[in-house]
Amino acid sequence: MSDKLEVAIKLMASAVIAYMFISILYLYVAVGEKWNLVLNALFDNRVHGAIVISVSSAFFVGFLAVVAAIPVAYILTYSNIRGKHILEMFLIDLPQTFPPVTEGLVYLLLFGRFGLAYTYVAVIIAKFYVSAPFTISFAARRFYEIKESGVDVIARSLGAKTSHILSRILLPMTFRDLIAGFSLTWARAMGELAATLIFAGAIPWVTETLPALIYLASRESPEVAIAASIITESLSIAALLSFRFIARKGE
Amino acid sequence: MRSLSVQGVSKYFGNVKALDGVDLFVKPGELMVIMGPSGCGKTTLLLVILGALKPDKGSILLGDEDITNLPIEERNISYVPQDFGLFPHLNVYENIAFGLKVKGYPRSEIDKIVRSLLEIVGLEGLEKRKPRELSGGQKQRVALARALAIKPSLLLLDEPLSNIDEMTKSEVISNLKDLQRKIGVTTLCVMHNPEDAFKFGDRIAIMYSGKIMQCGEPEEILREPKNDIVKRLIAPMYILWNWNKS
Ligand SMILES: Nc1ncnc2c1ncn2[C@@H]1O[C@H](COP(=O)(O)OP(=O)(O)OP(=O)(O)O)[C@@H](O)[C@H]1O
Ligand SMILES: [Mg+2]
Repeated sequence: MSDKLEVAIKLMASAVIAYMFISILYLYVAVGEKWNLVLNALFDNRVHGAIVISVSSAFFVGFLAVVAAIPVAYILTYSNIRGKHILEMFLIDLPQTFPPVTEGLVYLLLFGRFGLAYTYVAVIIAKFYVSAPFTISFAARRFYEIKESGVDVIARSLGAKTSHILSRILLPMTFRDLIAGFSLTWARAMGELAATLIFAGAIPWVTETLPALIYLASRESPEVAIAASIITESLSIAALLSFRFIARKGE
Repeated sequence: MRSLSVQGVSKYFGNVKALDGVDLFVKPGELMVIMGPSGCGKTTLLLVILGALKPDKGSILLGDEDITNLPIEERNISYVPQDFGLFPHLNVYENIAFGLKVKGYPRSEIDKIVRSLLEIVGLEGLEKRKPRELSGGQKQRVALARALAIKPSLLLLDEPLSNIDEMTKSEVISNLKDLQRKIGVTTLCVMHNPEDAFKFGDRIAIMYSGKIMQCGEPEEILREPKNDIVKRLIAPMYILWNWNKS
């Protein structure tokens, strides 16, 4: 049984879903006849460099985010500091909404004097700020749920110290969330452009990422840009699907 | 076996006075039931004794040791909450073994204790099941076995009958009572239903609005309810008792 409102809801949802899918998949259509140009770009040395830099730095950022998320989530859940909501905003909401251009500039001014600008480390620093909040917020939400459920108190009453609470309760119960956070952090790091470009530049095989390559190539050689875009999208879709698979298996 | 002594304990949540100068003494090995209406502070009292909440006033003694400022993990008090609080990621065996593992017992001894508890609560064969694959009654028995595994000085039970259907209730009551006797652990149990409370407890503490109104053996309370509030709270039992007497 479906009344008029339900039909309207379904239509609206379909429109949104179509919009989302077209945004991703149109690229494959746009290539059209020029498949061989794209194939050529696949053998381009500069494209290879961008793939290596993007994928490897995104993995580093993902791992660092997991390592960072655990103590931060613990503090957000268990400490009695005042203004936790403000802290949460600075750690989670702001980094995801702050203009990355500005952030790149900040890092250039802050770390430039230590010779970190235009290095591989700069790529990781720039990407971390915008990408880590996914993992931090997932971990914090789960830690908070665990605390609400009270099993941590029970574990303590049975003799567990903080180290046991972490290793036997919080971390195993947060495994799926950390994987999910890692995957979004990874994907966001893959897509980050502005902060990386300003702070790390675009030196092939050192700091040039796929988005930077796409941006710089889009004027002179659009077919390289399109090829690089297709590679980026395919990698992200494949990665997000496999992370989901891993998270489900890990149950 | 240790006694429990709660002395003048008060606890505020903002403006709400959840506990208002509670005094309570539970003898070693005794089964004390706290009975009172919803919101009167029963769970709060258990959590303060457990150490999950800090009292604003008063002190708590186990035997003659003052534990008011002792961290939870050093009190050796076990707690079975209303929803049983099983570790969802661990199976039945690992749940029961948890306390012994973190206390560093050798594996063979853990196995011996867990096996004997599985037998006592009748859960043999279910070791490998996760909590979500258990019925309410089975979950409760796992939680009880987990609580008893560490040989606690005090056992706290919050509404152990709330997830048990009427059909099996009296069976669960007598099983719990037998188990408590056999192990001889000092026990403080929260219940809101007077009928259950009077069947279960060696003594009953009637709680109302953050205070203990009266504490004594079931017979004693029925014979001489201290005031109208107590009379009202135990009404079903009181009427029945007076009826049988006349
Ligand atoms: N964490 C909390 N924050 C604020 N108020 C609380 C908190 N916990 C309990 N209270 C309040 O303290 C009072 C006592 O609550 P408590 O949970 O101890 O009651 P209870 O006797 O266990 O009730 P029930 O039979 O419904 O479980 C209630 O008024 C409750 O609203
Ligand atoms: Mg309660």
